Amino acid sequence: MKNTGKYNVYHGVVVVGRWVLFAVVAFLILFPVYWIFISSITPAGELFKTPIDYLPDHPTLESYKFLIQNVGLLSKIGNTVLIVGLTLVISTMLCAMAAYGFSRFNSKGVSVAFAFVLATMLIPEVVTARPLYEFMQKVKLYDTYPGLILLYISTVIPFTVLILRNFVGEIPISLEEAAAIDGASFSQRLFTIVLPLMKPAIATVCIINFITCLNNFFTPLFYSNGIQVLSVSIVQLPLRDNMYGVPWDLVSAMGWIILLPIIIFVAVFEKQIMDGIMAGGVKA
Amino acid sequence: MTISKKNMKWIPWLLILPVVLIRGFTTVYPILMTVKNSFFNISILAGINEFIGFKNYLKVFSDPKVLTSISFTAIFVVASMILHVILGVILALILNMKFKGRRFLRTIVLIPWAMPAVVAGMAAKWAFNNDYGLINDFIRWFVPGYQNSWLINTGTARAAVIAMDLWKDLPFFAILVLSGLQFISGDIYEAAKVDGANGIQSFFRITLPLIAKNVLTLCIPFTLWRLTTFDLVYSMTSGGPGEDTALMAYRITTEAFTNLNVGYASALAMLLFVVMAIFSWLNIRVMNKFDS
Repeated sequence: MKNTGKYNVYHGVVVVGRWVLFAVVAFLILFPVYWIFISSITPAGELFKTPIDYLPDHPTLESYKFLIQNVGLLSKIGNTVLIVGLTLVISTMLCAMAAYGFSRFNSKGVSVAFAFVLATMLIPEVVTARPLYEFMQKVKLYDTYPGLILLYISTVIPFTVLILRNFVGEIPISLEEAAAIDGASFSQRLFTIVLPLMKPAIATVCIINFITCLNNFFTPLFYSNGIQVLSVSIVQLPLRDNMYGVPWDLVSAMGWIILLPIIIFVAVFEKQIMDGIMAGGVKA
Repeated sequence: MTISKKNMKWIPWLLILPVVLIRGFTTVYPILMTVKNSFFNISILAGINEFIGFKNYLKVFSDPKVLTSISFTAIFVVASMILHVILGVILALILNMKFKGRRFLRTIVLIPWAMPAVVAGMAAKWAFNNDYGLINDFIRWFVPGYQNSWLINTGTARAAVIAMDLWKDLPFFAILVLSGLQFISGDIYEAAKVDGANGIQSFFRITLPLIAKNVLTLCIPFTLWRLTTFDLVYSMTSGGPGEDTALMAYRITTEAFTNLNVGYASALAMLLFVVMAIFSWLNIRVMNKFDS
């Protein structure tokens, strides 16, 4: 009991200290995000104010209107949604099947194939870029939806297969054996027993792959031209009135259009994302 | 059982082949082509395509642009990784703290990771503008009249690129360190407190050794990712001023797609790949030694 007074002061300092650290980290992340937002609703002319006006006097949606009318924003959003959506659906199907194969069958060939798929993660995009570009041109897949989707799928395969395969390993094989005794065929076992049990892992993987696909810049930059997705568009926005090299009114607006769904997405799926990242980190 | 042994043999391959083929074709086939191209002088503009052996590789030593790129890539990787480790562990500890705002903090910390690098890069390009950018505006709260053209001067441009890379990537690193931290049971700290250890001693004698292996393992993929950073340079500085922030991945794609010197670009790409391979191999050896 003697030290209660000292302990309370120490405890108080620790609590205040924690809130200070929290505030610093939160500020470093949220302040730039807030700046992007208010810039997007500030009239273009007023962006050239110093010091920065953090509460704009005349908020406007003019930048967004310009994007929709002159930069084809809606079609770019449509392209992005289409490509990312199809990639998620197809890659999840292919990788779930493959995960089952890699997990349940342990022959030497299968193990080597699994190691191979993981090892390809070491090959950076920049090393494969030029030949892959020429190949895509040759087989007429350059600047096409199927071509892009194929490349997007390739990007997410190693991570997806890794997570799903580890997850399948945790599903007891006795469930399938019981079904087999009851007369279930192989495909029945796969589709009606194993796949439904994989749902949590599939959800996690889709959530993380959604972010990966949305952020993909290298692929659409080099393997498409006419088909524009949001990530490439933001670096190709037109300069208006010679704005020091950065059309900040349009960039902040498009940036916010990309950011807002991401922020909401991350807030809703925070737990699954954290679990997914940590699962990949601990198990890999 | 209705499946005969004969059928069982090809079922796994039916399941895994699509994934293996897609992956193999988009990585192995192109990299073999890159290897081959690196021994040729291929200039699409001049219409040349001839075998020249190792000349592309030797040209590297006399090319000032590439040498600048190599030196900045080295600086970038080393500086960024050191800061990743120090600040990443600190951030992981903060994310591990028991306090009310924890869930909120963990959510907002995902935002830099979840946004495309090019959005961060374009925002940074303007944020570092001398007159109207966020950074100088903020500094002027403390130092009135502060002027600094960040992206015009080499030293500050490089610092800005490293800082942006950290801003975007640190939370991801910290979360992975956090997963290691969460394995440490609270009992160890309780026992230490009973023995009279304070917070700092606890950290250095208990926490650090237990997460050291995890942190060092993480350094391998994170270093490889630093080596291949492209999006940030493309959107934030376009390699400038001059070539001073042109990381290798940016240099290679410029040679391959803008200058159309495909052979030379392929040689540069192979050099980068070899560096990555050597680094990975060395690291795994060090980790194995560390284990025993």
